[in-house]
Amino acid sequence: MKKFDKIIIVTLLLISLISIIVLKMPKENSQGEKYVVIYVNRELYKKISLMDNNLDKTFKIETEFGYNIVQIKNGGVNIIDADCPDKYCVTDGFIDQPGQMLVCLPHRLVIEIKGTSNNDELVPDEISY
Amino acid sequence: MTQTKKIVYIALLVAQALVLHIVERMIPINLGIPGAKLGLANIITLVSLYIFNFKDCFSIVIIRTALANFLAGSLSSFLFSISGGILSLIAMYEIKKIGKENISVIGVSIFGAVFHNIGQILIAAMIIQNLRITVYLPFLMISAIATGFFVGIVVKFLLKYLRAI
Repeated sequence: MKKFDKIIIVTLLLISLISIIVLKMPKENSQGEKYVVIYVNRELYKKISLMDNNLDKTFKIETEFGYNIVQIKNGGVNIIDADCPDKYCVTDGFIDQPGQMLVCLPHRLVIEIKGTSNNDELVPDEISY
Repeated sequence: MTQTKKIVYIALLVAQALVLHIVERMIPINLGIPGAKLGLANIITLVSLYIFNFKDCFSIVIIRTALANFLAGSLSSFLFSISGGILSLIAMYEIKKIGKENISVIGVSIFGAVFHNIGQILIAAMIIQNLRITVYLPFLMISAIATGFFVGIVVKFLLKYLRAI
């Protein structure tokens, strides 16, 4: 262990710890509307409002890459089963805060929770469906 | 080093990298972070960095990632390992040049491991067209610091014996 080694370890640890703390900080505007947005292969697949906490819905997203079973419950979302090899999307568990996301890379699936603050990014509106 | 000796040496290193790659897949270790792994094959990149010039290291990285993914892997896993591999090689080469006597193989290894993750995350962000996936990076970085540290120690011992050849 030489001088530069210690500098590298300390700086990298600081960078990662600080960014984890910043990411874990609660978002101020989490009171507004909440949406779950699902992208498959870069394209918007589904947009569901999470305002109703009693909404209980389970559906299967089937693509050329495989399937993922998505469950919407208690104002959050969870992938309960998938046929991808690593199953990280399943072990990532339940998310219900705006900004959180579930990713299944082998299936090119991204599930994001968005709040009203970044509503502008939601391109198609309800009428599109 | 003669040309023949160099070719044999490179072939040996690539073969060892492939074995390490397969052994690593057999270890049922789950660090709890998507994409985090031990990075044993980085041992070979590091060793070659201390023995050969940049051009030879580059070809070792390309050959070992290509062959490893032919053996066990897919096109997307190839994209991940090649982007991470090249980025970490460039990062390690540069930090080794900058640090000179002040940096040991452990620091170089950690630096390379972190850049391997950065490369992977960038490719993942390109595939899903969503930059938010970078929120995984801090978690991956912490695991990279730990695994990079141990890979560095391994290479430190390894180089002591390899230099004799």
